[in-house]
Amino acid sequence: MRRSVVLIGLSILILAFGFVMFSGCAKKVVKEAEEEKTTTVQKEAAPAAPAAPAETEEQRLAREKALREAALKEQQEKERMLAEQKAKEALAAAIAEIQDIHFDFDKYDLKPEARDMLKKLADIMLAEKTATVLIEGHCDERGTVEYNLALGEKRALSAMKYLVSLGVEKERIKTISYGKERPLDPRHNEEAWAKNRRAHFVVTVK
Amino acid sequence: MRNRLRVVSFVLVVLLVSLLPVYGKVYIDIDSPTIQKFPIAVADFNNLGQTPDGENLSTWFADRLGNALQLTGFFNVIQRKTFFEDQGKSGITAETIKFSDWTVIGAESLVKGGFQLNGSDLTVEFRLFDVVQGRLLTGKRYTGRPGDREEMVLRFAGEVLLQLTGEKGVFDTKVAFVGKEGNLSEIYTVNFDGSGLKRLTNFRSLTLLPRWSPDGREMTFTSYRDGNPDVYLLDLTGGKVRKLLDFSGLNLASCWSPQGRKILLTLSKGGNHEIYTMDLNHGTATRVTSNYAINVSPVWSPDGKKIAYVSDRGGSPQIYIMDADGSNQRRLTYQGNYNTSPAWAPKGGRIAFEGMVNGTFQIFVIDEDGGNLRQLTSSGRNESPSWSPDARYLVYTSRLSGRHRLCVMNANGSNVRILHEGMGEYMNASWSPHLNLY
Repeated sequence: MRRSVVLIGLSILILAFGFVMFSGCAKKVVKEAEEEKTTTVQKEAAPAAPAAPAETEEQRLAREKALREAALKEQQEKERMLAEQKAKEALAAAIAEIQDIHFDFDKYDLKPEARDMLKKLADIMLAEKTATVLIEGHCDERGTVEYNLALGEKRALSAMKYLVSLGVEKERIKTISYGKERPLDPRHNEEAWAKNRRAHFVVTVK
Repeated sequence: MRNRLRVVSFVLVVLLVSLLPVYGKVYIDIDSPTIQKFPIAVADFNNLGQTPDGENLSTWFADRLGNALQLTGFFNVIQRKTFFEDQGKSGITAETIKFSDWTVIGAESLVKGGFQLNGSDLTVEFRLFDVVQGRLLTGKRYTGRPGDREEMVLRFAGEVLLQLTGEKGVFDTKVAFVGKEGNLSEIYTVNFDGSGLKRLTNFRSLTLLPRWSPDGREMTFTSYRDGNPDVYLLDLTGGKVRKLLDFSGLNLASCWSPQGRKILLTLSKGGNHEIYTMDLNHGTATRVTSNYAINVSPVWSPDGKKIAYVSDRGGSPQIYIMDADGSNQRRLTYQGNYNTSPAWAPKGGRIAFEGMVNGTFQIFVIDEDGGNLRQLTSSGRNESPSWSPDARYLVYTSRLSGRHRLCVMNANGSNVRILHEGMGEYMNASWSPHLNLY
């Protein structure tokens, strides 16, 4: 019984402290606005009454108005940040939906699914102007190092050209080929090869 | 090393007596497609000095020389236990050898020798005899330290090859290759017999395509060290590396000019993969091809007048040949729908390449006019052929039953041997020119 009394007491103390802290912060903003106002008023009133600045009705209204404005500003800022956060999350979700596109053996032309994926990427990049993309071209393990480096680059360039045709600025796209040297699946079978013939997208947002 | 070893040749004395030309007879025609292995005997060496043979050098010399000759693929080195004579004791000059003891076991050539330890000096005599004619073909005396004895053996092995085949062999060559573990690869070299593994790069990146300069003093390669595939130049005498090319896109150096400091490149700086030549002394790159297709892996013919390369302009990768200025382009390979990695034989005439057969890759050779196509390998997956400087062997990368290896075979596909194994993956085999090591 005694313990709960102590607990309640403590909670009240913490609450009270929190309240004081909070109101202190809020007051600070108001105070600054007040001071500003006062200075201007003082300047205007200076030639007539240099002393005794008793608060006039006008001053009171101004003070209250400033208070309301500050509160509104705070609210708007909160909403703006929330919206920004939501947009960020939406962008991250959209980027997360961007998957590798795949190619046929020894081919670098874009399949319909690849075009759909690139359209999604283009939408992101057109909406978010700070977004840049690195396109990595990859191949399956069959064939020579050099030929696959070239083929991987052709794949990355195909993807780039399509993005450019959709309105994305070329300057925001970089390409690199790893040929057959960075397989996603290191096994030596058709399933692995199909996974490894791909273009991979690394989207960066500032 | 070369200066420390004193060599005395005493075949000239014999010449004065016999008046026979030294290389008058080719004992082994190694360019023939079906060669009979040449039977040779190597006897235990005699201890010619007073110092006891503590390290059993007598059999070491015979073993080591026998192994080196065996590796060439041209010899049948006769087992010593079949020998009649009392090895290590009977004479080592023509007058003291009973040649009938050697003909009866089927030997056509015989190597005998002797050594002498004098403090920290080792003197070794090697003699090669024609058993049938009963005469000395060549003899050499080397003087050095006991640690030089491997070099002495390889130098004399080269002499044996020169006498019997007309060329000195590849004992003074190395093979460069890319060893890959996971996503990282580095450049390595091994000696012609697989010994002396050495790592040349330590970039902890993707490093590819080692290519020797014709004098063996420099090497180009491509590395992603700084993010982009750029071309680097390695000075093999001092070990210094410098970046040579870093255009945007691919920078690949595929071949040095047989005539000197010029290289063949594939660059994609203009958006297409084109072949360029570059003079390393002036640093200017000149474009040779001009089309939308992939053009890659260019190599010069030994006379520098033609270039073989890979292009997919016909819908699949095939090997093409053009004149060095880019004119007169023509397709070389028609069989199969995936042929890449051309390697022009150092003496001309033939081109080795890899082609797809039943979903995997095998090594082929074809005459440079398109005739005489031959498949040299058939089991596992075999890629990236590179000729030895004497055009008698091909080194290539192989994967068989999940095991990755670097292999060597004779140019006709026979005598396959493993040069190196144990790394995650082998790529881009590249045989050095003669390095004049010995």
